[in-house]
Amino acid sequence: MNTESVKQFFRKDFNGWWLVSLMGAAMILLPILFIFFSIFQEPNENWFQIREYLLKNYAANTIILVVLTGVLTAASGVSLAWLIAAYDFPMRRFFSWGLILPLAIPPYIAAYTYRTMLSYTGVVQVTLRNQFDYLINPEWLSISSLRGAVFIFTLFLFPYVYIICRAFLENQSSSFLENARLLGRKPFSIFVRIILPLSRPAIVAGAVLVIYEVLSDYGVTSYFGIHTITTAIFQTWFGMYDADSAMRLAAWLMVIIVGLFFIEKLLRQGRRYNISSKARPLVRQKLKGFPAAAAVIYCSVIFLLGFFIPVVQLLAWSRLTFTKVWNDTFFTLLNQTVFVGMLSTALILLFAVIIANVTRSHSSGAYILSKLATTGYSIPGAIIAIGVLALFIELDSLLAPFYSYMGWGKAPLILSLSLAMLVIGYTIRFMATGFNAVEIGFEKIGTKYTEASRMLGFGVTKTFFKIDLPLIKGALFSGFILTFVEIIKELPLALLLRPFNFDTLATKTYQYAKDEMIFEASIPSLMIIIISVLSVAVFQMIDKKVKK
Amino acid sequence: MKIISIHNLTFSFPKTSIPVIEDFSFSMGEGEIVGILGQSGSGKSTLLRLISGLEIPKAGSIKIAGSEVAGKKTFVQPEDRGVGMVFQDYALFPHMSVKENLLFGLSRLLRKERNPRVQEMLELVQMTDFEKRYPHQLSGGQQQRIALARALAPKPKLLLMDEPFSNLDANLKGSIRNELREILKRANMTCMMVTHDKEDVEAICDRSIVFGKHGEKQSEVLDNESSLTYVR
Repeated sequence: MNTESVKQFFRKDFNGWWLVSLMGAAMILLPILFIFFSIFQEPNENWFQIREYLLKNYAANTIILVVLTGVLTAASGVSLAWLIAAYDFPMRRFFSWGLILPLAIPPYIAAYTYRTMLSYTGVVQVTLRNQFDYLINPEWLSISSLRGAVFIFTLFLFPYVYIICRAFLENQSSSFLENARLLGRKPFSIFVRIILPLSRPAIVAGAVLVIYEVLSDYGVTSYFGIHTITTAIFQTWFGMYDADSAMRLAAWLMVIIVGLFFIEKLLRQGRRYNISSKARPLVRQKLKGFPAAAAVIYCSVIFLLGFFIPVVQLLAWSRLTFTKVWNDTFFTLLNQTVFVGMLSTALILLFAVIIANVTRSHSSGAYILSKLATTGYSIPGAIIAIGVLALFIELDSLLAPFYSYMGWGKAPLILSLSLAMLVIGYTIRFMATGFNAVEIGFEKIGTKYTEASRMLGFGVTKTFFKIDLPLIKGALFSGFILTFVEIIKELPLALLLRPFNFDTLATKTYQYAKDEMIFEASIPSLMIIIISVLSVAVFQMIDKKVKK
Repeated sequence: MKIISIHNLTFSFPKTSIPVIEDFSFSMGEGEIVGILGQSGSGKSTLLRLISGLEIPKAGSIKIAGSEVAGKKTFVQPEDRGVGMVFQDYALFPHMSVKENLLFGLSRLLRKERNPRVQEMLELVQMTDFEKRYPHQLSGGQQQRIALARALAPKPKLLLMDEPFSNLDANLKGSIRNELREILKRANMTCMMVTHDKEDVEAICDRSIVFGKHGEKQSEVLDNESSLTYVR
């Protein structure tokens, strides 16, 4: 970019919208930069100990978890997507959306539900003991292990791969598939030789979402006692009160993520297929007899394990504790959660709309701005939380003279004990969710209405309120729901950034589970699941509209 | 007075080195109707976008009714240029009725003058019975008339039309062409029209410019009073 084009940009495009967008970008970038720069500070003694004895183990666990979960979610996701997209069998329509439902159960809820169900007093062992007089080797059912965590993550995160692959296969694969059939290939060989390579970009895209979730996880791993880099961040912060080392660990995790980012680029490179716009939808083949039964059993097992069984178990537990939990304290909790969720979602959508309105002009700098707005999603909640915490503590010490001038005491922690921290944290982490929804809305209407309005004498801002806003209402609504649900489910960020004595549904659930009050945890868990199912419903609605 | 005068205009899209428009000069007087012919990709539509302020030129200047709207140091935002535009796909606001679409451009008019102006415009394009309809309830030809009425309503100094007939079927085209010229002349409107159809130009325009492909000579002769060929 030369000076001339910068000058041109300022003359034609720069305005208040840009200014606010840049402020939003700065808010997202600042905490992340804070973490990066911690690498260059002199490390303390503690850090040498962590690096010497713990880091290798943490990193190894993290990588094993990521690789195993990645491979298994890819395998289950793409195979289910293929079944649903290409074949017709009993209950196919039900499974086609039922297989999305596991996504509504946050893995940490699934983790404590399954562990309790499989424990000595849990429903599985009790039934076997009492009904069948069978003593099972408890080793077999022990889920508090790396193996168990992989099981939980796979079962409850595979829908990311499933959704993306299914959409791809349903819309884009028909001509290749028909040709392969005409060339005399058998179904299995078509799957291996045609479908797998073709859907690689879709699989990678889904698996990367899964991996971000796994890297970000604190609930499952800490509950199962697995040491990963994320749990280590918590330990050094809460256990050792060593903020510097926590930031250094966060920086290390960032290194892994940046590495992952490049691997993703590499895996997708050269594989951008020319996808034709005239694609016909796939004509499904009818399955009969044994293959049909096998398909139904496969889908049923995944659906039962991934949604039905845990939900029924939670419902059963909630009956036991209903009178104890369902009271004023719970309503306060619910209120607080909804309040902070709504507030953050509103802030996110405000920035998302402003930034997306700026970037859709495709003027210089717009691309970087949109990338910046969406960085938060690939960065684990714990890292963002540490960055925000460090930043706010720094801000408080900068503002100390002002505080004492106002007579609020000497160097108090005002900002870093406020709800603002949590709201900012959520905003950074989930800006991408809101932004993507709004961006899709803008893409759909294009720029012609905006240009027409400007030719009729309205400036950018008036045009936005009179033309753009009414036309992207639907996109805003779905963006609101999707973002709100993400916020309600988020655990690590809320655990680190909530003010003293402030709980959300997620933190309360985790607290109950950690204190072995599993039955009490069921009602807030169900609340989260209900809210999440809502987002799945919205997802389906949008999907249907698009197809029409 | 010249309604529009363009001097040494140059424009290229970001990240490309070959300019779409290079060193282009041109002017037109009040009431003139000028056609811009050329193949797709020759920069015709870009010229309209530069005049309207939707793009910023790399070099050169544009004056509308004597005052500079784009130049070395100036850039007037599109909403302040007093230019009307009929878009290729009309861009009628889908959430507003025909009347609301027309009223949209009249915000700078006194309140009591707005409704009469809307009626006047609807009469001009012979669509008086349609003010309550929504754009999706209109046929292609009707949409085009409303788009024209909407662009003319604020009384722009200059009207730009981007491929106004491309979305109409052939037998509708003939009658609308004649009508359009009549409407424009009646309103004494200065108009610049982009098209790839020579017949459009012959039926409507006083003169025309032909945009050539880069580096290749174009030498079309048209039956109009004077034609000007622009070759880069």
